[in-house]
Amino acid sequence: MAPPAQSQRSPSPSQPSGKSEVSDLKLQLRQLAGSRAPGVDDSKRELFKKVISYMTIGIDVSSLFGEMVMCSATSDIVLKKMCYLYVGNYAKVNPDLALLTINFLQRDCRDEDPMIRGLALRSLCSLRVANLVEYLVGPLGSGLKDSNSYVRMVAVMGVLKLYHISASTCIDADFPSILKHLMLHDSDTQVVANCLSALQEIWSAEASTSEEASREREALISKPFIYYLLNRIKEFCEWAQCLVLELVTKYVPSDSSEIFDIMNLLEDRLQHANGAVVLATIRVFLQLTLSMTDVHQQVYERIKAPLLTLVSSGSPEQSYAVLSHLHLLVMRAPYVFSSDYKHFYCQYNEPSYVKRLKLEMLTAVANESNTYEIVTELCEYAANVDIPIARESIRAVGKIALQQYDVNAIVDRLLQFLEMEKDYVTAEALVLVKDLLRKYPQWSHDCIAVVGNISSKNVQEPKAKAALIWMLGEYSQDMQDAPYVLGSLVENWDEEHSAEVRLHLLTAMMKCFFNRPPETQSALGAALAAGIADFHQDVHDRALFYYRILRYNVSVAERVVNPPKQAVSVFADTQSSEIKDRIFDEFNSLSVLYQKPSYMFTDKEHRGPLEFADELGNLSIGEAANNVVPTQMVEENDKDLLLTTSEKEETKGSRNNGSAYSVPYDGSSTSVFASQTQIESAVSNPTLAGHSPQASFAIDDLLGLGIPAAPAVLSPPQLKLNTKAALDPSTFQQKWRQLPVALSQEISVSPQGAAALTAPQALLRHMQSHSIHCIASGGQSPNFKFFFFAQKFEESSNYLVECVINTSSAKAQVKIKADDQNTSQDFSTLFESALSKFGTS
Amino acid sequence: MLQCIFLLSDSGEVMLEKQLTGHRVDRSICDWFWHHVISQGDSFKSQPVIASPTHYLFQVVREGITFLACTQVEMPPLMGIEFLCRVSDVLSDYLGGLNEDVIKDNFVIVYELLDEMIDNGFPLTTEANILREMIAPPNIVSKVLSVVTGNSSNVSDTLPGATGSSIPWRAAEPKYANNEVYVDLVEEMDAVINRDGALVKCEVYGEVRVNSHLSGLPDLTLSFANPSILDDVRFHPCVRFRPWESHQVLSFVPPDGEFKLMSYRIKKLKSTPLYVKPQLTSDAGKCRVNVLVGIRNDPGKTIDSITLEFQLPPCILSADLNSNHGTVNILGNKICSWTIGRIPKDKTPSLSGTLLLETELERLHVFPTFRVGFRIMGVALSGLQIDKLDLKTAPSRLYKGFRALTRAGEFEVRS
Repeated sequence: MAPPAQSQRSPSPSQPSGKSEVSDLKLQLRQLAGSRAPGVDDSKRELFKKVISYMTIGIDVSSLFGEMVMCSATSDIVLKKMCYLYVGNYAKVNPDLALLTINFLQRDCRDEDPMIRGLALRSLCSLRVANLVEYLVGPLGSGLKDSNSYVRMVAVMGVLKLYHISASTCIDADFPSILKHLMLHDSDTQVVANCLSALQEIWSAEASTSEEASREREALISKPFIYYLLNRIKEFCEWAQCLVLELVTKYVPSDSSEIFDIMNLLEDRLQHANGAVVLATIRVFLQLTLSMTDVHQQVYERIKAPLLTLVSSGSPEQSYAVLSHLHLLVMRAPYVFSSDYKHFYCQYNEPSYVKRLKLEMLTAVANESNTYEIVTELCEYAANVDIPIARESIRAVGKIALQQYDVNAIVDRLLQFLEMEKDYVTAEALVLVKDLLRKYPQWSHDCIAVVGNISSKNVQEPKAKAALIWMLGEYSQDMQDAPYVLGSLVENWDEEHSAEVRLHLLTAMMKCFFNRPPETQSALGAALAAGIADFHQDVHDRALFYYRILRYNVSVAERVVNPPKQAVSVFADTQSSEIKDRIFDEFNSLSVLYQKPSYMFTDKEHRGPLEFADELGNLSIGEAANNVVPTQMVEENDKDLLLTTSEKEETKGSRNNGSAYSVPYDGSSTSVFASQTQIESAVSNPTLAGHSPQASFAIDDLLGLGIPAAPAVLSPPQLKLNTKAALDPSTFQQKWRQLPVALSQEISVSPQGAAALTAPQALLRHMQSHSIHCIASGGQSPNFKFFFFAQKFEESSNYLVECVINTSSAKAQVKIKADDQNTSQDFSTLFESALSKFGTS
Repeated sequence: MLQCIFLLSDSGEVMLEKQLTGHRVDRSICDWFWHHVISQGDSFKSQPVIASPTHYLFQVVREGITFLACTQVEMPPLMGIEFLCRVSDVLSDYLGGLNEDVIKDNFVIVYELLDEMIDNGFPLTTEANILREMIAPPNIVSKVLSVVTGNSSNVSDTLPGATGSSIPWRAAEPKYANNEVYVDLVEEMDAVINRDGALVKCEVYGEVRVNSHLSGLPDLTLSFANPSILDDVRFHPCVRFRPWESHQVLSFVPPDGEFKLMSYRIKKLKSTPLYVKPQLTSDAGKCRVNVLVGIRNDPGKTIDSITLEFQLPPCILSADLNSNHGTVNILGNKICSWTIGRIPKDKTPSLSGTLLLETELERLHVFPTFRVGFRIMGVALSGLQIDKLDLKTAPSRLYKGFRALTRAGEFEVRS
């Protein structure tokens, strides 16, 4: 599509300006209202059409409401439809007049033509006027019992609409149980599907307040019901199949034979013409086999072909959506797709966002056997007309080089880029050669020969310039004219706008000086002088630092600035594996397209129904291990850091202190802790005791001294938690799916707490000190999300918590699930008190 | 769950708005969207799924009409996109093409269709065959009929029987005096050829299209002579899975009228029917171009509608290109288009000439990609062959027809 440049909505000449035309219409409608002359329907139709077209282009025709209703007495179905459309659009703003329409809509609901009955019922429910709901119940009730499936189908959706207008009316009329009956017994699959989608929404919304509803909602993912749907899945229309498949992803089969049964049953869905069905099926497959590594691999093999076909068959829009999902899978399991790399070759006509995805996939699937072809292909794109893509492809070549062992051919390619004499190609290639040299210093000889030929005047981009300067400094020994090139750059210090480049220049001058002092000395002096006078504080500081360290001792300076370097083994990844896992769990959702998990971009209030299982996500074992043994992980990471031994010991020491501090209680002191939590809950609960600073001081004192003193009168919740609770992620996940939400509430976080919550870890330690353990966390300021669990003391009864904290509003949304429902209120109090103390203690 | 659907004209004007749920979506979202589209520029196609500050937007563009759907909840993206594609298909089927005028003239029908296709944000029936029974298309026949009978309603009196039947894609028992069924193999060849003539990638995407006018509930079986060459297949919901799995036989009860029975993909093809040899040599601010096109592998039928197109690099000031066969045009956006038609017997079509580069450039560093178009009637280039088509309880007079067609899909030659 090539949208024309002007965004202005120039009204077409025929388009009316508004007022006079509307009053004109009003008059004409009034004349026709009472008329029974032959052919009056035709003239009405013309008028209605005009009204609707005004409405469509955005002219307010609500003033015609009365006249429209008066004209609505007709047997002509098109007239009726137009009238319904009009009424549906304006009833909300004219609730009083809407009452006028009720009469004729109700009459139409009893029409003998099922089509009219259905349409009238749909319009009646779409009025969405709160004080008219009493008129809905009757027609809906009879609609649900109608002999025609079309009417029943409409009525089911009507119930959902009614629920959104007035939940209590809907519940009082007992519609959910009628829907349930229809869902299980109706012969028409569309009715069943509509029931399913309506009940999912109603029960999810009700679940927080009604135990029955949450039980019913759980029943939707019970074995008999899932099997009932699966056995009929072929009878459903394609969209309803998506709905059913989405529900199936939430079902947890009891054993592997069940998993295979389901997969066998659904296998042909992978061949469905509708891409939405295919993707929904793939999601089911992936979810079912998560815990079965071998089968999971086979699933990848099985879904590969359908996905690749979907990419090449659909419209560009469909291709893109599928490609995003494919991208996710390729990133997860590149080796499965390594023989299909040709599918990721870019076509000339594809939009840039598709090419970008493909480039990333090509980079990911590159391995020993296909690197040569892939790099050859990528080099073709470097000459592409689309400059951003050309850049990306050069970067892709570099990435492949960095992840491969055999880089011979690739280095040659990169050096060819440098000789292409296109400024952006040179720029990108320079950055890459720099990275390559950091990883493979052995290539320095070949690279430097080429880099040395590049005139620094042809390099303008800061990143590339910085890379060139770095290389000049690092390899000043081997590059003949390095000191002079650097020197000329120093002379033009004032023309260099990028602070990054100036910083690099300073360091490069230093390195050059250590290698070739006589040639560089004067230029270095000029550089340091210019640096100290620089307005950018970093440049200034660095120049001053270099200056002083040189004055102190030149050999020390050399050890600091230009020590022997270790080759970099792995460059850090930009997206954490936790986030990737999370996105994978949200397969077949918008998250995949945005490459962000949904909690990062969806507001809580806008989440869809039955989201509960998705939210939990895949809690990877590694992450849990991370929580259990933090020190060990840190030590491993430390190996990569170039710290001196003493520094390392220092950090380790302090870290040990830290971890000792975060687990203050051992088994013997449980009683101390239990009584203490009682006070806390008493204190933080304003109805029981005033929250005074003295009180919290007293508790701090208690904490320090460990005196088990608790005024029992003030502490009704007798809940003790196990300090050493343990729960593995998969059990947590399973329980989270199975258990209903016992409590859902909003808790305020203290302003200090909100301010202290800059990273999830801060809260984790705090909660752990209250025997509430974290199993997964994530998010970025201001939104954080945590999954906690706790165990009852001396009992294996678990409490699971989902907690979403918004630091800007200092509010936390908390959902609690419990094995033992009776104590969930007690636990909630405890949790609240623990959370409210965060940042204050 | 979709909340609202808008239809926008190619100047960004809202032609139609259909609110689907209680959460009204304000029209201002279209302004935001249009602004976004324009800010992306002409050359850069905007993404099909966009996050606006308030909504997630799905967009599908067909014939200059933008179908825009909004949602605030997480949902399967393909569901939104597929649905919009279906809407555009159904509309273009109903209105005999899509453009601004035809939608504005028939907006009542569009509203009616949307009303049946989606309720409360969830898609219902998108099968054109069934919709046609609920809402009559605005064709000339029905217009004439309405004048004659005086019944001007464009809605059929009966509800479609299929809404209650277990074969949702087929209307209840149509009757035809002449029973006919046509099967078309339509293939598109996607290929990438390097400047040295090496085939980088070549595959065929094909569709089996059926046009069926059969009485009653016909049960058809279609088999291929060489089904093993198919790499991957996708079926219309009417195809039964088991017979395909065990014998590679398509067994189905067809919808009435035209539909896509199956689509398939065949990869790793070894050759293309045409060769294209581009040669670009540049020095001293000039670039000589010479392109030859000829038949590499004779498919046995005439190759016609051969075209060749390429984008001239932006650094080119002027181009002087001529051909010994067909016509060469340089279009406004620096696209050079060479229409060849058929390849003559006596000579090899060639395009030659010079490109003048920008003054400071010595040589050309950007090499154009040549896109090739062609069409071959009567051949499915993948080699797929239909073996036979059987009808259980065949009517007395049955006419079966088979056709094949191959055309170029994304056929690219690099230089």
